[in-house]
Amino acid sequence: MVTTQQLELLAPLSGVLMPLEQVPDPVFSSRLMGDGLCIDPTSQVLCAPLAGVISNLQHTGHAVSITDASGVQVLLHIGLDTVNLGGQGFTCLVEEGQQVVAGQALIEFDADYVAQHARSLLTLMLVVSGESITDVSGGEMLVEAGQPVLRVGEAAVQVSTQQAPSQGDTLFSLAIALPNPNGLHARPAAVFAQAAKGFAATIELHKHEQRINAKSLVAIMTLQTSHGDVVQVSATGEDAEQAIRVLSDLLVAGCGEAVTPAAQVATETTYAPAPEPVQVDGALLRGVCASSGAVFGQVVQIAAQTLDYPEVGAGEAFERAQLQRALLEADTALDTLGREFSQGPQGQIFSAHRELLQDPSLLEQAYPLLASGKSAAFSWAAAVEANEKVFRNLGNAFLAERAQDLADVGQRVLKLILRVEDAVQALPDNAILIADQLSPSQTAGLDTTKVVGFATVGGGATSHVAILARALGLPAMCGLPAHVLSLASGTPVLLDAEQGELHVRPSEAAVAALTAKREQQRVRQARDLAHAALRADTRDGRHIEVSANIASLAEAEQGMSLGGEGVGLLRSEFLYLERSSAPSHDEQIATYSAIARAVGPDYNLVVRTLDVGGDKPLAYVPMEPEANPFLGMRGVRLCLERPELLREQFSAILASADLTRLHIMLPMVTQVSELRLARQLLEEQAQRLGITRLPKLGIMIEVPAAALMADVFAPEVDFFSIGTNDLTQYTLAMDRDHPRLASQADSFHPAVLRLIATTVKAAHAHGKWVGVCGALASESLAVPLLVGLGVDELSVSVPLIPTIKARVRELTLKDCQVLAQQVLVLESAEQVRAALQPSHAANVAHSLVLEN
Amino acid sequence: MFAKLQQAFWKALTPDLVADEPAPYTSTLQSAVVAALGGASNLKSEQRVALTRIRVELNDTSRVDPHALRLAGVPGVMTLAGGVVHLVGVND
Repeated sequence: MVTTQQLELLAPLSGVLMPLEQVPDPVFSSRLMGDGLCIDPTSQVLCAPLAGVISNLQHTGHAVSITDASGVQVLLHIGLDTVNLGGQGFTCLVEEGQQVVAGQALIEFDADYVAQHARSLLTLMLVVSGESITDVSGGEMLVEAGQPVLRVGEAAVQVSTQQAPSQGDTLFSLAIALPNPNGLHARPAAVFAQAAKGFAATIELHKHEQRINAKSLVAIMTLQTSHGDVVQVSATGEDAEQAIRVLSDLLVAGCGEAVTPAAQVATETTYAPAPEPVQVDGALLRGVCASSGAVFGQVVQIAAQTLDYPEVGAGEAFERAQLQRALLEADTALDTLGREFSQGPQGQIFSAHRELLQDPSLLEQAYPLLASGKSAAFSWAAAVEANEKVFRNLGNAFLAERAQDLADVGQRVLKLILRVEDAVQALPDNAILIADQLSPSQTAGLDTTKVVGFATVGGGATSHVAILARALGLPAMCGLPAHVLSLASGTPVLLDAEQGELHVRPSEAAVAALTAKREQQRVRQARDLAHAALRADTRDGRHIEVSANIASLAEAEQGMSLGGEGVGLLRSEFLYLERSSAPSHDEQIATYSAIARAVGPDYNLVVRTLDVGGDKPLAYVPMEPEANPFLGMRGVRLCLERPELLREQFSAILASADLTRLHIMLPMVTQVSELRLARQLLEEQAQRLGITRLPKLGIMIEVPAAALMADVFAPEVDFFSIGTNDLTQYTLAMDRDHPRLASQADSFHPAVLRLIATTVKAAHAHGKWVGVCGALASESLAVPLLVGLGVDELSVSVPLIPTIKARVRELTLKDCQVLAQQVLVLESAEQVRAALQPSHAANVAHSLVLEN
Repeated sequence: MFAKLQQAFWKALTPDLVADEPAPYTSTLQSAVVAALGGASNLKSEQRVALTRIRVELNDTSRVDPHALRLAGVPGVMTLAGGVVHLVGVND
């Protein structure tokens, strides 16, 4: 393909330029279709960016392609998800096959209508024939229609869609009725073409008499398919057979779009039959919040598959081999899953599952059964079940929930013994998954981009579903009544996890209110993110340092890139949690140095020394079990009891002294003597290493004693950092995970706030700074209060850095101080929260509440 | 077996046991934007639409000052029929 080197594309519209990677639609932002640009239009007539032939004009008028004489193909796509408008709001001014000149009007659209009825007006101009492009817009944010914006370069060889004639017989797929609600429009067409390009064979897509090159996005769009259209795939060449199989499956599955699933889905998780759907319009089902948020969606029932197997085996040796093969395969599969999900908690869950599998006690119970002539499946299932019972009967909620994990691993092995295949379940958009229990393996196979929430009958705050939902930022509820399982799939429901309510067939008004609220939040978050690099100064100029709470190098890097001003809390115990032996000295140095480099010399890195104890066991720090670990050998108490551990850690941390503004922080300090002892150890260690410039040394304020004695501690520390989670549970004497007390163990309790106020006052009297690194700092509602109490630094969970910084920028120190004084004299956490609510709105200051 | 399990799960569980989702916000127009639209008295309604836009209805669209809007952080402005104005590119 020969292209004109100097071909320039004109802006098809006037408007605001947006980088392609910021477009909130992965098909465009990933450049799957091709490179180009995005314009948020301020004009309403789409004009030709180049001269050529209209190679495709979608009937719905929202997309058009132009091919020029040299073969360059440009796709123009007005808005996101505008295919759903079915042509409403668009007027085509040209026809397919027509020759157009550059700048010629192509499509007129009603911007106000589209803006109010489609997801977005963001308009894409993409070079879909594979050439590279150069931006010639001059870096301005605004462009005028007709102004040159892109220069088209050479064709990229690897994305060529040209098909050389292939040898061999032509194979045809079965006829497939398209499940996509709008046929193969741009998005599914791009996915399909991309898949077709993966095969060497010549591949065509047929509709009635038409046949087109299936590797070309534009060609697929020219078929103008709609829902239910029958198409066929043909392929000629060596991998034709495989191509037909893969591409047919892809078409049936909807090419990445949510479609009504095919009738038979032979998978582990199938849509549960709902013969007698409960008719409960507007009904309200109550549960417990497992992950906060609220969402509207449709019910998807997930039912676990029951497996049948014989009790009697075919000989011990054979059955034993079967079990061993299945265990080996399960181990490999879990290892793969662990890598696949290495970024999230699921990865850790799968590695925990691997450990479970390697535990000898399961095999010890299975082998005698095998020896007595039972089948591999029966023996394994019996062993798993026996252990599950033990877990459930321990009287510990946390371990009882682990029974579910054991059952999950058990099921995985059982299926491998029986050679039952898993397949990925197709989900509709906005799916709210409802199940008795959801196991990690079930959720791993789900397309989580389609899931908007979870609701289960079983489970609790530490169940797998809760962990997954929090990691995905989705709302989830547990403990719903069992009849939620009889809701028909597809039933519209509103899941309000914060209120613990599931509304069946909610009123339109309720849905609209929720949608508006969510959209506002989303827009707000996007804006905060864009402004993440700005300083967090109040309107009257008080600077608040917003830093990151981290537990790994990856989080340190992410925190810095999200605008974090350093690290306010490195939870060092997490760096080696999975280790059964202590990390070597060099290994520790390498870890701390890498994090210190990520933070850099201009910012603080606060390393908290090992905070372990009976509640947070570390394998290489063996401990006697304690009756009440939260009141036992935790934090600095343990470290001082085993000073070699602390010395070792100090010397590893000290190696980073020149790389960053190094701070060391001691957890769980209660006595001044603990601080003095630790400082002595630190100084000795520094002297041994020849380090003269000591790092700053501070303490966590998380025991009420330390807060009350802050004036005694202050002269001897360099800083304080308040751990609000522990401070709250120790002040109120309530376990924050207690099923009935958790909701009262609220850091907004005035008792906790008074301790924060005492700490700040004492610190400032001695010229020391105070940070807050507990969860309270990450709560938007608490920010004005903490600023008003005089806190200097907020160390927050990494994803919330932009939000908290933005919140600070809206505040006025003076107003916050008044607010803090008012709140300190209140009676309860509820009163404090209530008092903060109006100020929350009023402080979005100088804004106008407009009447509609 | 239990101790090992508890430890293996701890990392997945601990960091977020306390929900730290930001509380919802009410976001409205900045005062500079309102001024550039001809002041509060000129505003009939405002609505966020299409991800990146704020749709406002004005009594008099001739009082819009595009330059002042740009200074107030609104990159694009689109004047439509019936007193409707879109503030464009406002998600950042």
